[in-house]
Amino acid sequence: MIRAAVLILLALPASFAQQGATAEDWPHYGGQVSAWRYSSLDQINGANVRRLTAAWAFQTGETEGGLQATPIVVDGVMYLSTSRNRVFAIDAASGRQLWTYQFPLPKGFTIFYGPWNRGVAVSGGRVFLGTLDNHLVALDAKTGKEIWRVNIEDAGQCGCNITAAPLVVKGKVIAGVTGGDSAHRGYINAFDARTGKHLWRFWTIPGPGENGHETWAGDSWKYGGGAAWMTGSFDEELNLTYWSVGNPAADFWGGNRKGDNLYTDSVVALDIDTGKLKWFHQQIPHDVWDWDTAYENVLIDREVDGRMRKLLVNVNKGGYTFIVDRATGEFIAAWPLVKNLNWIAGVGQKGELLGRNEPVAGKSKIICPSIGGGRSWNQAAWSPRTSMFYSTGIEWCQDVTAAPELPKPGQVYFGGTFKLTLKPLQGEPGGHLGAYDPVTGKRAWLYESKYPLLASVLATKGDLVFTGDPEGNFFALDARSGKKLWSFNTGSGHRGGPITYAVNGKQFVATPSGWGSALAGLLTQIWPEAEEFRSGSAVFVFALPEPVP
Amino acid sequence: MTRWFSLLAVWIPLAAQSPTSSSVARGDRLFAQGCAVGYCHGAAGAAARSPRLRGRAFERSYLAKVIRDGIPNTAMPAWRDRLTDADINALVDYIATLANAPVEATASPAESLPANDSPQTMPAEHARGRELFFDLTRESRCSVCHRLDGIGVPVGPDITNVRALLEPDAHKVLRFGRPRGLRTLTLKEGGQVQGVVTERTSAHIRIYDLSTLPPVLRTIPVSSVSAQTRQSAWRHSTPARAYSQDELQAVWDFVRWFAAKPKQ
Repeated sequence: MIRAAVLILLALPASFAQQGATAEDWPHYGGQVSAWRYSSLDQINGANVRRLTAAWAFQTGETEGGLQATPIVVDGVMYLSTSRNRVFAIDAASGRQLWTYQFPLPKGFTIFYGPWNRGVAVSGGRVFLGTLDNHLVALDAKTGKEIWRVNIEDAGQCGCNITAAPLVVKGKVIAGVTGGDSAHRGYINAFDARTGKHLWRFWTIPGPGENGHETWAGDSWKYGGGAAWMTGSFDEELNLTYWSVGNPAADFWGGNRKGDNLYTDSVVALDIDTGKLKWFHQQIPHDVWDWDTAYENVLIDREVDGRMRKLLVNVNKGGYTFIVDRATGEFIAAWPLVKNLNWIAGVGQKGELLGRNEPVAGKSKIICPSIGGGRSWNQAAWSPRTSMFYSTGIEWCQDVTAAPELPKPGQVYFGGTFKLTLKPLQGEPGGHLGAYDPVTGKRAWLYESKYPLLASVLATKGDLVFTGDPEGNFFALDARSGKKLWSFNTGSGHRGGPITYAVNGKQFVATPSGWGSALAGLLTQIWPEAEEFRSGSAVFVFALPEPVP
Repeated sequence: MTRWFSLLAVWIPLAAQSPTSSSVARGDRLFAQGCAVGYCHGAAGAAARSPRLRGRAFERSYLAKVIRDGIPNTAMPAWRDRLTDADINALVDYIATLANAPVEATASPAESLPANDSPQTMPAEHARGRELFFDLTRESRCSVCHRLDGIGVPVGPDITNVRALLEPDAHKVLRFGRPRGLRTLTLKEGGQVQGVVTERTSAHIRIYDLSTLPPVLRTIPVSSVSAQTRQSAWRHSTPARAYSQDELQAVWDFVRWFAAKPKQ
C-alpha cells in the first residue's frame, strides 16, 4: 500500500506538485512556501461537507482592527497572532490555550497602518513575530518566552512597521515592512533565525551607483515608498525568494519622481543566501494609482505552449494578474480579474501597459477599480487537482484627485485624495470569487457576493474551496462548479486566512473571524450599513461529527 | 433628555465661535492634505480606516486637543509639532462644518495644494547633521544606539537632553565613551556575547548584542552563562568611524545644538 503510494507520487509530472500542498500541518503563511493555500487532506470533501460542525472556538479578546491573520499549525499546535502584537499558542485539537505573549508598545506610540498583524512564522521550535513598531521578535514555541528581538529601524523615523507574517526558510527569517504611503525608502531584511543577527538587506529602491537608480528623478529615491508589506515565497531548487514591492510614494502624484521608479510595483527574485537581485519584473512603471504589486507570489509548474514552465502568478491591486517565468522573470501573460477597470486599456504582448489613464492634479477623475483594489491582499488559492486558480475580485470605482506634495521624512506622503463612488462603470458594486485558468484567465465559474470578499481562499484535495464574507458567513464551494455546499455564520466578518490541518488523523478546518481593517472602513463609503458590522477576534474550528465515517 | 442636553452643550460652543470663511477654507485645505489622506478619515471626513467625521458633532475643545496631542496607542498622531495654533483652529472650524453634512455626500474636488506649509523648525545649517545622525544607509548610524527627539534605539544614553555635551571637552565621548552596563557574557555552550545589559532577573539576562548592527536584544537564561565580566572590547571610536571627520563634525554640531535647544 505504501509502495503503491510512492509509485503514484513518482508518476506525477513534477515532484513539486506535492511540495506545494500542505498535509497535517499548515507550516507557512501561504500553506507551503510556494503560497498555494492548498491542502492534500480530503477527509472533509464534497460528499460530506454538509455535516461539518463546530469543534471549538477561541476568543482572543483583541478585537480592534478585527482578526486578519492566517494561523500556523505545527505538530498539533496552532500559533495565532492578533492586533497589538499578541500571539497565542493553542492546542489545535481542543482549543485549549497553551501560552500567550504580547510585545509591549512604547508609551504614547502612534500606530500607523493600523494595529493588526497578519501572521507569525514558525520554524525550529521558534515563533517569529513582526511588530507595530518595526521589531522582529523570536519566541520559544514551547513556552512563548522571548529569545531575541531586533529593531529593524525606528518606526517614528521611517513611518513603517511590520504587519505581515515573516518568511522563515533555510535558517533565515525574512521580513519586509509597510511604509508605501510614507516618505520612506523600502527594504527587505534577513536575520539569522537562531541569533537575530542581521544577514542582508535588499533596498527596494536602488541607491546611487546601483542599477535602476536612474529611474528616480532628483532625490525622490529617498522617499519613494516601495513597501514589501506582504509575505514572500521561496523556490528551494532555484534558491530564490520572491517578494512583491508596493507602490511608489507619493501615491497619486508622480510629478517629482519622474522615471519608471524601480523596483516599485515589481516582483523581485532574490538569492536567499545573499539577498542579491537575480531578476525583477516591473508590472507598472511609474505608478500613479497606488497599485501595489504587494500580494502573494504563487509558484506553480505548468505547461505553457507545449513546454513545462516554472511560473509565478501575482495578482496586482489594479485588478490584473501577471504571470512570469520564475527562473528568469520573463513575462508570459496578464489577464484582468474584474470588469470595472479603466486605468489602462490593456496589457501588450511583452507586458507593457496600453492606454494609461492617469489621475490629474487638482481635477477629479473616475478611476476603476477603487484604491481598495480589484482585489485586496487576501490571498488566492491554487489547486493542482482542478488546475484552477481561485481568487476574489472587487467591482468598485472612485473619484481621484491628485495633488502636488513634498515629502516629510517618515510621514504620510499620498499626493491626493479619493472618494469611492456609488456607481461603478458597469453593473453594481460588489465582490466575487472566481475559478480561473492561471495562465489564460479563462473562467470556469463565478460566485457573486453583495459585499467585497476580503478573506483569503483555501482549496483542498476534497475538491472544496473555503472563504468568508463581511457579514460573518464562512462557506464551502464545490471547487469544480462553484456551487455553495455549506455555510456557517461566525457572528463577525472575515478578513483573515482559513486553513486546514489534521491531528491524530482527524481533519479540521479553521477560520479567523473578526471584522476590521482599512478596507472595512472604506466599505462604508459605498455601503453605509457596513459601519454597523461588528468587530470580533476569534478562531472557529470545524470537523466532521464523531465517529468519522 | 441627557442626549438633548449633550447636543445643546455641543451646539453652544460651535455657535459662539462663528468661524470665518477664510479659516474654513484653510482648514479644508489642511484637512485634505493631512487628515483625508491615505486610508485615514477619507475625503471630507467620509471615513476610511479612521472614524467618520461627517454628520457628527464634536466639542471644539475636544477636537483641538485630539489634533494637538493625538490619541496614544491609536493611529491618531499628535500634530502639535507640525501645525501652528492657527492651523489647528482652522481645522476645527472646517470639521465643525461637516457636523450637519449628509453622511454620503461626495466631496468637492480638492484644489491644487501647496507643497508644504508646515512650520520648519530645523535651521538649515543643522539639517545635514540631523540627516547623518539618522542615516539609514549607514549600518553604524548614531540612531542605531541612541534616541534623540523620540527616535532611535535606546541602547546607549538618550541624548535629547544631555547637557554634558555642551562641556568643552565633551567631544572625547566620541572616542572614549562607553555605555553603562557594558558586559561580556561567556556561554556554557561556547562563545561570548558582548554588549549592554538592560535587565537582569534570577532567570535571565537581557543584553543588546553589539557584535552586529542593528543590535539584537537577546534574552539569555542565567543557567546558560558560565561567566560575566565588565570587560568588553567595544569602543565608541569604532561606530564613530562610520562618518568622515567632516560628517562627524556636522553630526556633533547638530547634537550640541539640539542639547542646548529649549524643549517644549
